[in-house]
Amino acid sequence: MSTLSPERWQEISPHLDHVLSLPEEERAAWLKSFRENKPQLADLLQKLLEEHGAAVREGFLEASPLSPKNESSLPGQTIGAYTLISRIGQGGMGTVWLAERSDGRFERRVAVKFLHFAVSAQGGAERFKREGRILGQLAHPHVAELIDAGVTLNEEPYLVLEYVEGEQIDLYCDQRRLDVDVRIRLFLDVLSAVAQAHANMIVHRDIKPGNVLVRKDGQVKLLDFGIAKLLAEEGNPAAATQLTLESGGALTPQFAAPEQVTGGAVTTATDVYALGVVLYLLLTGQHPAGPGLHWPADLIKAIAETEPRWASDAITSVDAKNVAEKRASTPDKLRRQLRGDLDTIVAKTLKKNPRERYASVTALADDLRRYLRHEPITARQDTLAYRTTKFVRRNRTVFALVILVFIAVIAGATGTLIQARTARRQRDFALLQLARADKMNGLNRFLLTDASPSGKPLTVDELIDRAEHIVERENYRDDPVSHVELLVSIGSEYMEKGEYAKGLRVLQKAYQLSRGLQDPSTRAKASCALSQSLNVDGQYARAESLFQEGLRELPSDPLYSLDRAFCLLNGGGLGLAGKGEAQESLARTQSAEQALKNAPLASDYQRMIVLVALGDAYDGVGRFEDSLAAYEHAGVLMTDLGYDDTTTGANMLSSWAHGLLEAGRPYEADKLLRKAIDIWAARAEDAYPGLLLQDSEALDQLGRFDQAASYAKLAYAKARPHSSFMGGCLSHLARIYIDQHDYPHAAATLSELEALFRQLLPPGSYGFAVLASAQSSLAQGTGDIPKALQLADEAIAINESAIKAGSFGLPHFVLLNRRADIELEMGQPDKARGDAEQALNQLNAALGPKMFSTFRGSAYLALGRAFKAQGKPEEARAAFRSAAEQLVQAGGPDHPDGRAARQLAGPSPP
Amino acid sequence: MAGEPSLSALIDAAERGDSSAADALFSALYSELHRLAKRQLARQGFPLSLGATTLLHQAYIEIAGKDRVSFPDCARFMGYAARVMRGLIIDYARSRSAQKRGGQFEITSVGTEVMNAADDRELSRISQALDELAKADASLAEIVDLKFFCGFTFGEIAAMKGISERTAQREWEKARIYLHRSIRADLEI
Repeated sequence: MSTLSPERWQEISPHLDHVLSLPEEERAAWLKSFRENKPQLADLLQKLLEEHGAAVREGFLEASPLSPKNESSLPGQTIGAYTLISRIGQGGMGTVWLAERSDGRFERRVAVKFLHFAVSAQGGAERFKREGRILGQLAHPHVAELIDAGVTLNEEPYLVLEYVEGEQIDLYCDQRRLDVDVRIRLFLDVLSAVAQAHANMIVHRDIKPGNVLVRKDGQVKLLDFGIAKLLAEEGNPAAATQLTLESGGALTPQFAAPEQVTGGAVTTATDVYALGVVLYLLLTGQHPAGPGLHWPADLIKAIAETEPRWASDAITSVDAKNVAEKRASTPDKLRRQLRGDLDTIVAKTLKKNPRERYASVTALADDLRRYLRHEPITARQDTLAYRTTKFVRRNRTVFALVILVFIAVIAGATGTLIQARTARRQRDFALLQLARADKMNGLNRFLLTDASPSGKPLTVDELIDRAEHIVERENYRDDPVSHVELLVSIGSEYMEKGEYAKGLRVLQKAYQLSRGLQDPSTRAKASCALSQSLNVDGQYARAESLFQEGLRELPSDPLYSLDRAFCLLNGGGLGLAGKGEAQESLARTQSAEQALKNAPLASDYQRMIVLVALGDAYDGVGRFEDSLAAYEHAGVLMTDLGYDDTTTGANMLSSWAHGLLEAGRPYEADKLLRKAIDIWAARAEDAYPGLLLQDSEALDQLGRFDQAASYAKLAYAKARPHSSFMGGCLSHLARIYIDQHDYPHAAATLSELEALFRQLLPPGSYGFAVLASAQSSLAQGTGDIPKALQLADEAIAINESAIKAGSFGLPHFVLLNRRADIELEMGQPDKARGDAEQALNQLNAALGPKMFSTFRGSAYLALGRAFKAQGKPEEARAAFRSAAEQLVQAGGPDHPDGRAARQLAGPSPP
Repeated sequence: MAGEPSLSALIDAAERGDSSAADALFSALYSELHRLAKRQLARQGFPLSLGATTLLHQAYIEIAGKDRVSFPDCARFMGYAARVMRGLIIDYARSRSAQKRGGQFEITSVGTEVMNAADDRELSRISQALDELAKADASLAEIVDLKFFCGFTFGEIAAMKGISERTAQREWEKARIYLHRSIRADLEI
């Protein structure tokens, strides 16, 4: 028998190609006709086909060259409590066998996965079993259960898994031509499984369609959870990466995240990425790196470096019709459906930087659900600057002062100092424009000689950036003072906009440059502006010393009054550190007010800014009457100056609304906040999270719980994790849940809040009073009244000591009202009356005798109930009448407690 | 390392028929892969049977990266590397069936099925047949190296060779026919 010569092979090869491409049934017929032309070749072909048949039957070259050939002895072998039945697959990690329980106790069949490597390191087997058990605790309907983990006598590890018979999710969807919405719903099942695992600190590390199966009954099952970790050598993350690279189904890194490919840390964000790839695949039929097959080296590069195309753009390839059909759609329709929100969601999961992705699988699921409900998604917001809560709120309004002070100075308003500077006309004008940038009056014509690339008018942010660049370009050798002043104003503008990092950077530079100058005004301004931004950054000690330094620079000459005012206002924001800061803050702001009065020239704008700062400062010490008076005055000035539809105006409204909420006037607060939100909406920008949170508080106080919840959740979604703002969101959310009687969610939120506060706040901080109070309300709602009382006592104790120490605290009367409520439920009307009366006294001191407040209303309501329980119907009715009046005036006609109070009051006396 | 021919140059020369270049290329790749395999095992405990493709990726990045002139074409590199891999695997099989343990690659398997002596001879036979096939149709031989010895999938092979997956599968079948026939012929004689 001859072996085929190369020439013979060349001859027969194309015909062999052809016959192999024919379906089996047709081959005989074709051969027959072929034989008529070329009988010898036909003979050879026939023999080769027979050869082929034999090769297939024998499984020739099917198995890996190094795998054990003789596996026929394996079926029937026992592994642990199971008996092997048959081999069902060979994966990258090892062979998988079908098995069943040896004692026939349960019907269930399992999959036993042998992992082809030796666990011979010391204690390796034990560790493997132990970690296997940890993984096995992950129980979820959509996760294939890890039943057991063990090691054979030959030191070979194996896993016993739930046997899942199903199709890969992408094939499942394609086969049944499922549309986009249905695919997303299926995907949400996957997400719930992954979210559960993450909550248990288990990262999958190897999510890919091959590991996401769908059973015939439509049930999704995720396989191989955390197994990649299980296989890694201790302290050897590279091994897990290796495995992922290898077991990417096709032994490619197709589903690897950038950090896996570049050797970075594998976290839950890595799973988010892999899920993103799967989602991309489900939606477009393609891998984010593009169509076609990928050579691993190119793929690795693409994963690490290239941004993926928008999902909607992926539906433009030649295969578009086919892809669309598999999604029960047409290419155009599909493209349109993916464009926008889905594009954004997918893109956010595929960010190269893990921190830019969805922070959690739950967040991704939430956005997908919002998409399905046609609600706005949150993923768009990463370009917005964050505003902070009231903890550092008082800082931001002050920066506006800087610009105008500077402008007033260089415009020649304050005499001798000006002559010393050579301000260039162009820059003056530009700065003037910058200060009025809110009004957007043809700014782009003035500031820059370069046109904006798209021809559209530049946004304020772009202008500031440009201004910074202009300043960089100019040569300030002859005019260093202007250089510093400009940088201070630019840095302040950044801070005003909430771009704290940029602001800090610029102000640091300004300060450094200012050290080379003599001019006290400039030096002081630079110190104090930097002080302010350091405060926001949490560097309290350095901020305070810079503030003192700046103040010392200034001579007592009235000429420097404006600068002094500026410094004092900047120093007024003292953050959370130190005792007695609320009082000190007020003192400094009052000094600023005084300094302004001493200044030879002060504009209404500056007065307005100081008034807002005063409002904030009075608020901080609980003098709400004075605070609101200051805000009202500022509001008048603002309208006069034409600032009330600007973002400065919006900020002011926010401060004012805060004061109103503290005083228990949610009806008016809501109106102001609506206006502030509208101002942002008119600029086609979304309201910053702080504003949303405030409105949610107002709505909560008004009894509009569902709306309040939406706003709070939106704010929460935008919050930076581990920030004090996040704490604010959580505490509001918890309270709303309690008001909605959604106690499980409330409890979950409160534990998250507790963890955050313990991490962030110093002990004794009033934040813990907030926490305790919410926990108290939760206990009350779930019927544990004694516990509620205990927690209410705790809250009051913490708050009292915080206030006594001069730190910020909650309005105490709010806590007293809540405790009175609990005491009534415990059948202690005497105590309740005591608390209610004390609350009313405090309210009198804080609000004055005349101001309407829902808190007064609540106190009266509690008082009325106490009187009733004590058997004093007349006093009770009087109290209820007062309550009704307060609640309706301050909380609006629809206030739920207001209506209740009216009913209890009964008919009015003649 | 001045004066040493770059990898691309070697590949070019070998493709043009320069047999000494081909030998040099083979040795260079062989020692590199061997080193990488040992390192992989020492570090991560992944035996050769699982690690072949990763090994080759690593080899590509490491070896080819030293080439200062140009990064050789990945596909062509892999073709050669796969051939070298074949040699490595057969050597390993030989060493294992000679019951040499310790210091080299270690594999455990279910039921302690150790390869018997016949197996490594079969691999050698396949290798010889492959060399013959290479003379008749080099592309087919390359596919066998890539698929059987290295464990790449049809998808990857297709991408590398710029053919469709179906074509790759068909070529594989053809190769199997050739080899099966050749080996059977060998045995019969």
